Amino acid sequence: MIPRLTWMLARPTRESLGVTALPVVAFGIVTALLIAVLGGAQAFWSWTDDLAITYQALAIVALALLIVPLTTLGGSAARLSARRRDDRLATLRLLGATPASVGAIAVLESAALALVGAVLGVVASFGLLPLLALIPFRGEPLGLGSVVLPPLALVGVVLGVTLVAVVSAVLGLRRVTISPLGVRTRQDAPRAHWILPVLAVLFILVTALAMSALSGLGSIVAILVVLAIGFGGSIAVLNLIGPWVLRLVARGRVRRARTPEKLLAARGILESPKAAWRQVSGTAMVSFMAVFAGSGAAVLDALSGAEGADSETRMLTADIATGLTITVVISFLMVACSVGVNQAAGILDRADLYASLHRLGMPPAVADAARRGTVMVPLLVTSLGSAVVAAIVVFPLTGAALLLAPLSLVVIGAVLAAGILLVRLGLVATAPLLRRASLSVPVSV
Amino acid sequence: MTSVVLEAQYLDKFYGPTAALSAASLSIGASESLAIMGASGSGKTTLLHCLAGIIPPDRGRVLLRLGGTETDIAALDERRRSQLRRETFGFVFQQGLLIPELTALENVAIAPMLSGVARRVAEDNARQWLGWLGLAGLEDRRIGQLSGGQAQRVAIARAQVTGASVVFADEPTGALDSRTSDEVMDALLRSTTAQGRALVVVTHDADVAARCSRTVHMRDGRIQPAEVAA
Repeated sequence: MIPRLTWMLARPTRESLGVTALPVVAFGIVTALLIAVLGGAQAFWSWTDDLAITYQALAIVALALLIVPLTTLGGSAARLSARRRDDRLATLRLLGATPASVGAIAVLESAALALVGAVLGVVASFGLLPLLALIPFRGEPLGLGSVVLPPLALVGVVLGVTLVAVVSAVLGLRRVTISPLGVRTRQDAPRAHWILPVLAVLFILVTALAMSALSGLGSIVAILVVLAIGFGGSIAVLNLIGPWVLRLVARGRVRRARTPEKLLAARGILESPKAAWRQVSGTAMVSFMAVFAGSGAAVLDALSGAEGADSETRMLTADIATGLTITVVISFLMVACSVGVNQAAGILDRADLYASLHRLGMPPAVADAARRGTVMVPLLVTSLGSAVVAAIVVFPLTGAALLLAPLSLVVIGAVLAAGILLVRLGLVATAPLLRRASLSVPVSV
Repeated sequence: MTSVVLEAQYLDKFYGPTAALSAASLSIGASESLAIMGASGSGKTTLLHCLAGIIPPDRGRVLLRLGGTETDIAALDERRRSQLRRETFGFVFQQGLLIPELTALENVAIAPMLSGVARRVAEDNARQWLGWLGLAGLEDRRIGQLSGGQAQRVAIARAQVTGASVVFADEPTGALDSRTSDEVMDALLRSTTAQGRALVVVTHDADVAARCSRTVHMRDGRIQPAEVAA
């Protein structure tokens, strides 16, 4: 009975096709990107010489950096899938369905959509992998053979993505089963204590001092420990104070807003600075890393060039720069997809409101500008703020890069700008959805 | 009836093969309140949307007479109709449909801000309207922190703050209990007809219709003979 009910509720009709397709597309994108990332990492494991271990360590760092935006994207896709069935499940509860049957339907539907999306993602990845295979490492392209995952790994990816959807559905289910009326309550964002930012600034300054004294530590273990604490600690601090900073910025913008779109955007961020942060937090880590490692690679490259280093070292530094650029771009691509998916979910959620605002005479362009602001302001604050914090933490390196290889800093800036542009494109992609919601003709006659 | 501010002439509107409106004609006086009643699907909301320029009719004219000029709303493009809705009309919907992240004051002020009024001026006007509707002291509350009746009065303030000549209300009391419903209708009438403005209300509620100066009934997209309220 439950599979039949699930099909009744989930089957796409002409009206709901777009809404059903969205989570499927989102899961497809997650899967395709995941396969590309794993394919790239796999290529590094095909090498067996002395340098292989260095490349593999760098691949692990890149994968670690991509985990946050990837899980954010996976979570967004799962939330979108969950949101579109919330109302119908709440109705089922009102009609007397047991929590267990509602739960089973929700999980089954999410799993089915994720499975279809993941399979389509596998197909799409075959379009992506030839491009990935062209990227040169160690002086030659990676090659298609080394980036294509074995069939078993592909099955694992499909099952993994489906599992993420199932877990997200189970976690999101409690609200529906507990509250058949599906009532949503809005709460003020929890306020961070002022001591947090003070401690954060202190940590950054102490880390910056420790980093500048790195060469005096002598022991390689001590240097690695300071580097790990500096990097990991700074990322943790950014995550801790990120929502607080966004709240502060948004409050200032609410006060200063002179136009409806600016007021709406600032209030949109202030409504939940944590959610605004979560949407773009993946870029915090990557921006930090882009400056941190980018400066390091640039200095290394400049020094090895000046000192006539061997070709292997020069190749390694060039490859670090390539790997870093790819990591940053993929990360921003995931954030862009995540933003697109979240925005689509938000527009569907607020379709009635957008339609009513249009009836009041608010042009769709104003609503669109407001929506852009709620994403672009946190994105700029997050990515640029993280880059600045990284520049302070590794000031000796960024200073040296500025002197020895100023062009490398321009390249880092350009890569970050390209990433921000990608996210902007994610917003543009959902603009027609907003326009359709705004101009929708009411169903009742 | 006072001078006619809005007049619909032989409006037809089709959704596919279904006629939502058939030769619907009516006129509304400058300080009149008109209730449009009818069963679900009778065409009352479509009529309201055509009158307000939200959707154009397939046939017929909607004439707006203001300041000695006559405008056929049905013949305007979307941009001009949108401007008209912003500057000349006010709207109150069943559940307010206010912007949840804005405060009560900002929800009201955003209407004139959309027409280019400076924020400070818009907020001053909004504060006055909220005070006049009994919401003084609640300006900084967000919509979720207000009761249904209070939220609906915020929506009324939003509909009025631009100086709308005609206010359209679609089931404005639909989600409220009878006492709050009375209070909202009081506020709505006090801020429209009592100020020389026209009010058009779509409602299922006979008590709400009884508060209006005139009621028209709709069936199958046609306006039935009007009856003047006692």
